[in-house]
Amino acid sequence: MSLAAVLTISVSLALAGASLLLKQGVSTATSQWKGGVQLLIFMQPNATNAQTKTVEGQLKSLPEIKSYFYMDQASSYREFKQLMANSPDLLQSVTESQIPPSFRVVLKNPNDAPSVGSLFQQQVGVKDVNFNRGAINTMLHITSIVQFVIVALAAILLISASVLILNVIRVAIFSRRREVAVMKLVGATNWFIRIPFMLEGMIQGLVGAIVAAGAVVGIQALFQYVVRHFQVTILTNFMVSSHDVLMTELFVIAMGIIVGTAGSAFAVRRYLEV
Amino acid sequence: MIKVDKVTKRYKENQFALYDCSLEINRGEFVFVVGASGSGKSTLLRLLLREESPDSGQVWVAGKELSSMPVWKVPFFRRNIGAIFQDFRLLPNKTVFGNVGFALEVIGKSKRHIMTQVPQMLELVGLHDKQDRFPDELSGGEQQRVAIARAFINRPLILLADEPTGNLDPENSWSVMGLLERINRTGTTVLMATHDVGIVDSMRRRVIELDHGQIKRDQNRGVYGMGPQST
Repeated sequence: MSLAAVLTISVSLALAGASLLLKQGVSTATSQWKGGVQLLIFMQPNATNAQTKTVEGQLKSLPEIKSYFYMDQASSYREFKQLMANSPDLLQSVTESQIPPSFRVVLKNPNDAPSVGSLFQQQVGVKDVNFNRGAINTMLHITSIVQFVIVALAAILLISASVLILNVIRVAIFSRRREVAVMKLVGATNWFIRIPFMLEGMIQGLVGAIVAAGAVVGIQALFQYVVRHFQVTILTNFMVSSHDVLMTELFVIAMGIIVGTAGSAFAVRRYLEV
Repeated sequence: MIKVDKVTKRYKENQFALYDCSLEINRGEFVFVVGASGSGKSTLLRLLLREESPDSGQVWVAGKELSSMPVWKVPFFRRNIGAIFQDFRLLPNKTVFGNVGFALEVIGKSKRHIMTQVPQMLELVGLHDKQDRFPDELSGGEQQRVAIARAFINRPLILLADEPTGNLDPENSWSVMGLLERINRTGTTVLMATHDVGIVDSMRRRVIELDHGQIKRDQNRGVYGMGPQST
């Protein structure tokens, strides 16, 4: 058993697995942000029922809108009190009748926020529209770049791992070329020669993958511990489900077996051409 | 048993290893192939083992035409052919018993078959008491006898020997030749490429001389016969 092959497989698969998990985490986090993105249409505190109904009718008819709900003055005031709990001065100076009720809108595509928002900007009875354009755009932009970089990194790691594994196995087989030559001489079939090498490659790939899978679980556990222990609330959205971890582990183990087995079969090929 | 029909083999353009060679060897014959280095002896043996294929012509061995044989059949063909070499080609990490038994293991014989066949074979080559030694603990002559045991354990129809005495002193060379003669007497066709004048001249067997890839002489009860006396 070649230690070099096992180590190469485990290091590269651990990195690839961790990258995939990170990508999953980013994807989970952004989907939560995306789902949570709201176009806020603040009505005038003294807007009439008719004005409110007009806005609501428009929201109903727009195809870009996934869902919306109306937050009346009473509940808006409760939310305001919670948000401003640390500023009693401000709380005391504002009464419920001054708080604007609002429509909280979830869009099908967060990118539509600016265009949809501008439709309501000049509406009678609308005080203000808040779609937080800059923040949304920046977040979407960054997460798409991060995802792309992670996927590219994982792909490059896997490719270089395959090449490394192929070379390691090739060296291992080169050192046994005499044995292969004698096997050929006494009439061994190619499969008879190939199968032990493939089994060895498979076992090496499996052992390497198990080490890598352990490392991925370790990285994930460490990450969760850091998030919980240090209350890194900004990272809580990065959490991945145990289903994601399981799928990543299965992927890592399958890749280890495939790369080890196929790599051996490919590397032994040239010594069989006699 | 062996028929080579108008075979040409070249490794490079205009550099012929064999040119328009034809020869026929019958069952049970003992044939020496002689000739200078590069005359085509090794190429001939490689063609007979199907390690190479001719550029033109046909090679028949044990009733099979080799150049049209599909690759997957080659291993089964080789089980009918024994081969020994100047450098013995033993596996250094296996014992004498392991090396001889390997030929049976590889073709899927049972452990019981191996346990009964290998000691018999080692008895024949006179190495019964050394079955647990490793090749590097043996003399050259003993290693070649292990190789012969491995080549003959499948009772092949043909034994090909590529300068089997090339690395051996005269005494060991003669013990190897004695074994080859005994194997030949069992009906196995033996084809031996050699440079050993003494052996060829004293055994007086059929001699085929190759020169620059062509058959220069094919003589029954021949001698090594360098120079003018060769016909």
